[in-house]
Order: sequence, then C-alpha cells, then structure tokens
Amino acid sequence: MNPRDLELLSAYLDGQLAPPDSARLESRLASDESLRARLNDLRSTRGLLRQLPARRVPRNFTLTPQMAGLQPPTPRVVPVFRLATALATFLFFITLVINGLVLRSATSAMAARAPAPLSAAQGPAHAATQAPALPPALNALGATSAPRTLSAAPRMTEAPGPSAAGGAPLPTEISTPVVALKSNAPQLESGQPVRTQTGPSVPFDLEVLFGILALGFGGTAWILPRKYESNLRKKWNKK
Amino acid sequence: MDEPALIQSAQRGDLDAFNSLVLHYQDALFNTALRILGDEDLAADATQEAFLSSFQHLNSYRGGSFKSWLMRTVTNACYDELRRKKRRPTTPLEPDAEDGDEMDSPRWLADSTLTPEGQAEADELEHAIQHCLDHLPAEFRAVVVLADIQGLDYAEVAAAIRAPLGTMKSRLARARLRLRECLQGFAELLPAAFRLQEERS
Repeated sequence: MNPRDLELLSAYLDGQLAPPDSARLESRLASDESLRARLNDLRSTRGLLRQLPARRVPRNFTLTPQMAGLQPPTPRVVPVFRLATALATFLFFITLVINGLVLRSATSAMAARAPAPLSAAQGPAHAATQAPALPPALNALGATSAPRTLSAAPRMTEAPGPSAAGGAPLPTEISTPVVALKSNAPQLESGQPVRTQTGPSVPFDLEVLFGILALGFGGTAWILPRKYESNLRKKWNKK
Repeated sequence: MDEPALIQSAQRGDLDAFNSLVLHYQDALFNTALRILGDEDLAADATQEAFLSSFQHLNSYRGGSFKSWLMRTVTNACYDELRRKKRRPTTPLEPDAEDGDEMDSPRWLADSTLTPEGQAEADELEHAIQHCLDHLPAEFRAVVVLADIQGLDYAEVAAAIRAPLGTMKSRLARARLRLRECLQGFAELLPAAFRLQEERS
C-alpha cells in the first residue's frame, strides 16, 4: 500500500477527510477488497489501542507551595509578634545598657570618693566617716539593692589612681579602707542599717521580663509560620 | 468545573485553582506518559515535571484547548525522559536470544502464572501492545498515544506535538501500520476479530 493511500485510510477512519475525498475513497473501497482489508486492519489496531485500560495514578500530582516556588502566605498575626519581639529586645538591651552604665557610674563615684592613700593609723576611723557619704552619691543614680554594694566595692581596688594624691597607694594601704567600707557602709551614723541604693536604675525584674518577652515573642513568630505551612501541606496532601 | 475561571486564577498565582486543574487532568497526563515511556515510575516523574512546568509557564497559555496545552508539556517531559534514558541505557526487559539478538517473540511475556487466566491474558495483551509502542520512534509513539489512546482530535494532537496537521496525519497513519505489523507477532494474544482480519489480509 502506498503512503498516500495509507494516510487517506487512516484519516477516513477518524472521519477527518474532506467530503469530496471521502466520497472518492468510498467508491474505491467498494470495488477494492484489498483496500477494504487494509482499512479493517487499521480499524482493529486502533480498537486495540482504545481498549487499553487506563491506569490509576499512583499518587496525586498536586503542587505544594515549595514545589511551585511560592512562599506560603504568612499568618496576619506574625508581623505583630515580630514587632513585639523587636520592641521587647530593644527594651531589654536598653535596660541592660542603663543598668550597666549605672553600675559603672556608681563604681566611678565610689572610686572618686574613695580615700586617698591612708595611713594605717587613719584607716578604720576615716573609712567609717566616709561611709555614710557614699549612699547619697549612689542614691542619686537610683541604686536599690544592697548586695550590689558589696560587689561594687572590690572594684575600688581597680581604680584607686585618680584620688591617689601624693603617690600610688601600696596594696596594703588601699586594702584597709575597702575592708572598712564593706563592714561600715550599711551603717548610718546613728548605727541603723541602711538600705544601700546602689543597684540598677531599672528594676531587675523588669529587665528579666523584657528578656522573657523577647524570647517568647520571637519563638512564637518563628513557630507560627512553620506550623501554618505544615497545616497547609497536610491540606494539600489530603486533596 | 469552571475551567476558564480556574485557569485565570491559576495564572494570577492561585495554587489551589491550579491544583483543581491538576486533579482533573492528572489521569490523562499520567496515562499518556505511561504509554509513551512504558514505565510507571518514569511516567510519574514526567507527569509531575509536566505539571510543575505548566504552572511555571502558565502565562504562556493563550487560550485554545487546555488539555492539548497540558499534553504538550507532558509530551515534552517524556521526550526529555527518553533522551535521558538513551544517554543512560538500562537492561531491556526482553531476554536476548542465543545469537545476541533481542527476541521479538511474545513468549517472554507469557510466564506470568500467578494471576487468574483471564487477567493474565489481558495483562499479556497489554504488555504486547506496550512492547509494540516502545518499538515505535518517539514522535510516532506520541502521536498514536494522543490520538488513539487519549482520544484527542487531529487539531489537538497537532497542537500538542507542535507539528503541522499534515505531518501529524502522516505520522499517525504510519504509526498505526507499524503497530499492526508488530502486533502480528503476538497473534495468539490478540482478540479473535483481529486475528480473522489478519488472516484475511
């Protein structure tokens, strides 16, 4: 069979021949048994192909946002948490810096008021008279807690220089007033214990609260979109 | 299913809308890929690749038969897969004869004894047809699968394979003839009607 007849028969089988071509082919088919047999061959071959069973898909081919290169929509509340995180972190660091500065100032003030090198004879007595003068200086800086006094006191040994008129003090000379200060600072002249106000200017509880809030908001802002995306993926898979 | 509305939404990036289209057409695309590639895993990969490519290039769809447009993407994905397969050939399913030539006999298919007889015969016939499809040139295979298995009309097939209508008609006729010649080697598996015609010719 020549290619032209083959194409004609194939198109005729599918009803794709123009009416004049179709009429001409039908008249040939009526008289040509071999041509009819070829047409039947093509018809049965097409019939075999058409009866091939359609297979079920092994899985759904739906696309996930990741596959499609799309970012899943962010839940509306996430930006609020991000802002809150930024704010809480900012406040946390501000309180941290303020308290740090206060502590440093307090230390400097104490160092500035620390006695010049004292002689061993002046030691305890002089220190005792100086002690009451310290709390107001620290009070001006908003100090609150007593334990800080003790922690600040050793720093005095690091900066004795500025007040050390008449030469650098010997370690033995400086150690005496420090010990005296530690033991005498919490006492007023009247002998009553004093709430030494040498702590941070921002309450420690508030500082901790800001830290916790920053962590909490940050964690929520991190978890929420992932949780949302995971739910979205489950939704896709269910479809 | 309001297909035009879904397509429009999908073109604006609505993945839900596109996935509705995926669910509607996935059977057709998978079966097309399966018949062109002859392997379920490869067909699944090609189908997934086709849908992904379709979504990414959805704005290039300018109307007409959406099914035909999708079929073009899956046909292209199958051609890519066939090219990869050609670069990395695998062991054929057919055993080699003693002289090293590949056996072109249906006997290699007839060793499935685990299924009931009727099912086994149907499976063997399906295998025989797939075997013959696999031996067609890729461009003939795509045409006959789209026209005779998926039932697309000539214009849709021509659009899907991006070929002129005349070329498509010629390929379809020659593909049918080659399939018939190949299937004659599986005479014992073929339905009686097919055998009678074959004997007559």
